[in-house]
Amino acid sequence: MSALAPHVVPIFATPFGVVTLPQAQTLNSALAELFTARAVREESTAGGAPGRRVFVSRDDLLEWAEDPVRQTMREIVAGVTAVAASISELSSEELGRLHIQARAWFTVVRPNGCVPATSYPNTSWLAVYCVTAPEPSEERVDSGVLRMHESRMETSFQDPVDQSNRAPYRRGHYTWRPVPGQMAVFPAALVHEIAMVRAAGTLTLLTAGARFAGASGAWMPPW
Amino acid sequence: MSPAPTLQPVFAVPLGAARLEACERLNRELEALFLAREDDEHRNPMPSHIPQRETFESRFNLFRWPEPCVQELRKFVLDTVVATVLRATTLLPADLARLTLHNHTWFHITRHAGSFISHNHPMASWSAVYCVRAGEPVPEEPGSGLLRLFDPRSGAGAYRDPANSRLHPAFASAPLDFRLADGQILVFPSYLFHEVAPFYGRDTRITVATNCWFA
Repeated sequence: MSALAPHVVPIFATPFGVVTLPQAQTLNSALAELFTARAVREESTAGGAPGRRVFVSRDDLLEWAEDPVRQTMREIVAGVTAVAASISELSSEELGRLHIQARAWFTVVRPNGCVPATSYPNTSWLAVYCVTAPEPSEERVDSGVLRMHESRMETSFQDPVDQSNRAPYRRGHYTWRPVPGQMAVFPAALVHEIAMVRAAGTLTLLTAGARFAGASGAWMPPW
Repeated sequence: MSPAPTLQPVFAVPLGAARLEACERLNRELEALFLAREDDEHRNPMPSHIPQRETFESRFNLFRWPEPCVQELRKFVLDTVVATVLRATTLLPADLARLTLHNHTWFHITRHAGSFISHNHPMASWSAVYCVRAGEPVPEEPGSGLLRLFDPRSGAGAYRDPANSRLHPAFASAPLDFRLADGQILVFPSYLFHEVAPFYGRDTRITVATNCWFA
């Protein structure tokens, strides 16, 4: 074994933030009620049977007038801003001169449902906030997890040491278990999915895509 | 008038495809054999991903089984891999003949709500998937049982405007979905991440997969 003590740092690192929303306990039951009612109504309107495995709403949550939704969106935007600020070289004054653009939707995932892998163009950050989640299953440890796909293609060559790397150098996907009241924040270009829910109960997620724009009205591509 | 530019795909991913004609008898024999051996003795003892009870994965020694149907499939699959390699590389048949083709080969039996997580195959150059039984289509679940190949140009779609949103298929930045048919085989580089979307049929979806390396 070498006695050398190398200086090792992660490069090309991907930020992944977790934020607990302050008012989650009081907001989540109201959100769940609102989202369930909307999902049932829209599934019926669309001619489908209510209660299908997955329902994805329109991305208009920022236009909802209901207080719990408006308050949650304020906290989500604040959380995304805090994550972005924590890794940015911009000062708080410079960041304060930008305004955040966002759009948000909710997803209801029922047993045997999942959300296929995707990413979002023209968007800097994605926030996935958990409103409700089934109890974790010891038998099905990946039930309903948010799974971010490995993006380093060089992983197709491995030797026995590579395979044992520690975080943040470990190879493979990264998973995060949604916990009611918590929000994951990560780059929106990262391919991610919601793994199949293998437990009784409903996973309800509020997802927001966000980006910062200059106050001067600099051009941004449309969503 | 400016001259028309030449346009060509670069950083392209080779994908081989073939179909075994008159595959019914062979697939029937394979299906019966696989279902009979869907047990702990033949289960992969060291799965690389969290196993699902809805998806059975065999040991990786399938092509060493002596049964005629397996050996018939082995010839078709490995011949197709070799043909794909010859098309995709500058190797000549004589070059390839001097190499030994190694493989790990296994079968999957997928039942209702079974899927397989996105993955690639380190330490192999070419992978292939052969469809023994596609399983019933589920009209209300159009993604049921799809084999999905992920675009390896990570982040290429992060910025989008009207001038890059409707690229021709060869240039498009998106996953590719395949609904395999009985007897169909796809061959692709092992570095390519791929997954099987949840299968919602009431019957079984059965495939054979192989990873190949040459030395």
